Amino acid sequence: MTAEVTKLQSKFAELLRWERQKRREQILLLAAGGALALAVLLSPLHIFLPLSGLRWIVPILLLVGLVQLLFYYRRWRPADATRAVVAMDRKLGLDERAVTAWELAGRGDQSAAAQLVFQQTESRLRSVQPRFMFPRQWAWPAYTVAPLLLFWFALLWFDFDQPVFQQPSAVAQGLAQKLREFARDFQEKARAEGLRESLKLGQELEKLAQKNFADNANDEQLKKDLAGVKQKLEAAGNSGQQTQSIAGAESEQSLKDLRAELEAARDMLNLSDGVKAPQQWMDRLASMPQLRKQLDRARQERDDGKGLGQQELQSLLDRLDQQVAGALDRRALIDAQQYLEQMMQQGQGKENNQAAQMAGRGEQDEPGDGVREKNHSNLPGNEPGKNDDRLGSLPGFRADTRTQIKGQLGEGESSGVMFKAKPTPGKSALAPQEVVADYRHQAEQELNSEKVPAALKETVRKYFLSLEESRK
Amino acid sequence: MIGPEATLQDSITPLLQGSFIMESLADIEGRIDSARRTFAEVKAEIARVIVGHEELIEEVFVALVCGGHCLLEGVPGLGKTLMVRSLGAILSLSFSRIQFTPDLMPADITGTNMLTDDPSGRKLFEFQRGPVFAHVVLADEINRATPKTQSALLEAMQEQGVTVGGKLHLLENPFMVLATQNPIEMEGTYPLPEAQVDRFFFKLILQYPSHSELTRIADLTTAAPPAPLREILDADGILQLRQWVREVPLADVVKDYAVRLIMSTHAQQETNGGASLAQRYVIYGSSPRGLQSVILAAKARALFAGRPNVSVEDIRALLLPSLRHRLILNLEADADGVSSEKILAELITHVAEVA
Repeated sequence: MTAEVTKLQSKFAELLRWERQKRREQILLLAAGGALALAVLLSPLHIFLPLSGLRWIVPILLLVGLVQLLFYYRRWRPADATRAVVAMDRKLGLDERAVTAWELAGRGDQSAAAQLVFQQTESRLRSVQPRFMFPRQWAWPAYTVAPLLLFWFALLWFDFDQPVFQQPSAVAQGLAQKLREFARDFQEKARAEGLRESLKLGQELEKLAQKNFADNANDEQLKKDLAGVKQKLEAAGNSGQQTQSIAGAESEQSLKDLRAELEAARDMLNLSDGVKAPQQWMDRLASMPQLRKQLDRARQERDDGKGLGQQELQSLLDRLDQQVAGALDRRALIDAQQYLEQMMQQGQGKENNQAAQMAGRGEQDEPGDGVREKNHSNLPGNEPGKNDDRLGSLPGFRADTRTQIKGQLGEGESSGVMFKAKPTPGKSALAPQEVVADYRHQAEQELNSEKVPAALKETVRKYFLSLEESRK
Repeated sequence: MIGPEATLQDSITPLLQGSFIMESLADIEGRIDSARRTFAEVKAEIARVIVGHEELIEEVFVALVCGGHCLLEGVPGLGKTLMVRSLGAILSLSFSRIQFTPDLMPADITGTNMLTDDPSGRKLFEFQRGPVFAHVVLADEINRATPKTQSALLEAMQEQGVTVGGKLHLLENPFMVLATQNPIEMEGTYPLPEAQVDRFFFKLILQYPSHSELTRIADLTTAAPPAPLREILDADGILQLRQWVREVPLADVVKDYAVRLIMSTHAQQETNGGASLAQRYVIYGSSPRGLQSVILAAKARALFAGRPNVSVEDIRALLLPSLRHRLILNLEADADGVSSEKILAELITHVAEVA
């Protein structure tokens, strides 16, 4: 192999190396442009991604796929090498000397004619620099990559890729905010009343609300999270129900009263004389109605007619305190569960069913027992806030007097609660305190929900105050 | 190879190879230069008596050094005979002219066995060579002779010899037939069959001279006759050129281009880069002889241009004379006035140089 051939082959190798490099760059640019364009076009499908963070790597995945595809279909072929050499021939006006020399060198032709071709070609190519002769020529994909990248980035940064129905709706945001407020109140209440389970779930609820609020979660996500928490609440409520013996039988108010009496009784027990205490305590405890009821029940269980000793009394008080705390915890959890149910219904865009707030009360209604029935009380009424002229004629309420407010049938929504008492032989009855407490609870929620006209709120409050007074 | 001799040869060969190549390199440069100068001299010498037709003269010379024959087409009086005669004179070749007429017989071309007496008085047949036994034969108005007579000439062209009385008589080497046709006087003529036309290396069209050329013709032919033409090349020189032409390297890319051009003349081929005329008007495309003609002529052109290799431009330049008589067009082409030249020109513009 002569020196000319060696130099020529080196020059051809340099040219082909450069052309292959340009081809690779072009493929990469084309793939990048294509991947970005596809990513923009496919952005509406981001909702099907399991994680929202995956949308950021969609172009990378597309790029990897396209690069492989393009590197296969636009792979360097022998014809490309020939084209490159012919292009150089044409550029230098060599009348196909270069391509002839390239082929003859490849064949190992050592004839005199071939040597002449080598010599003439080498002399012409000696000073040629392929990089300068054939500089990069950016085609349209090169100019589209940067704008497409910016467009795609803006699309994701400003969440334009989320369709309207998937954007964090005001309802979802409102619900998240509402849930956060509820969770905080719930924790405060649980902390104040020493409800450990409720406090724990309240904290969890707040975290959940905070997360949904911060992530701009949509309705679906919020409902999904709420359903998860609701299940936990149900589980906690059910486990509490199995362990508490006092919970089912008492109303919330009576439980609270019992707790207050228990605290007072324990204080008195701690300050008393150790010898005289039992009988003295029994006398003083007799003035505490709720505690007395529990003590009577304890005596009946002992069934020996004797009084309780101090140790027994202390033990009983501790047990009662635990049971009351558990029962209150469970009631709080059930309240929270109902609240979440209501929120989920609101999230589904359904009409706010306020009756659901009261449905499923622990001791009266087992899960599934809260049946809403169509009766006169839940027939459509007039829209709240309208016909204010009639509100002026509402009667005042006094204790121990019968007052009747006529509902107005027409458009609007109303709700009702069905109470089911435990059957006893010959009758089925509920304590009035329980009924009043439930109604008051419902009324308070309605008042807080601002669906009750302002003029009527005070009337409702007065009504329940009058009922309280009548109880006393 | 095994043994001390082979080992010695193997070791000597690389040492000798360098000097051999250097010597051959200088030799081949000399050949190319010599061919280029010869060609220039031939053109210049003919230009003394023939006005215009430079391209035609080049092509005839190319056909000569490629061992081909030419079919010249042109109206009478354009200098066909003068050109051929001049070529014969310059090249120091024997020249004969046959005027084809309807009553011309094959023996009038090839020659015949004559009954003669030998010195002892015995009767014997002696072959009398016909006019075809010359280096350059001008077959004037070849289409006026009957097919039988035409075939006798065409057979001689193809076989480089004639067979008379069961005996083959070889023709001169180099041997070239320049047949002429008059395209306007078609009455009483016998058009050459396609198969026989295909045997011509080139078909050349003589164009009517321009105004300036006519003026020069007037000056040249009505004044004192020019000095006799100088002999530039002899038969051996032409045979040497023929050998050199075949040694010109041809790149595969260029060969592939020529092949694709040939294939694209066929209507059913889809390698014509979208050219539509061939698809529409060609019944039969070029034969393989067309490809041989194009490539060989391109090699000769490259040699005469002083280049050591064939270029794409050589192929393009000689595509028309090589293929124009090899395309068989349909009646629709005749009706639409589409010529083979037009079809070939379209193919040149459409077929890519690199596949």
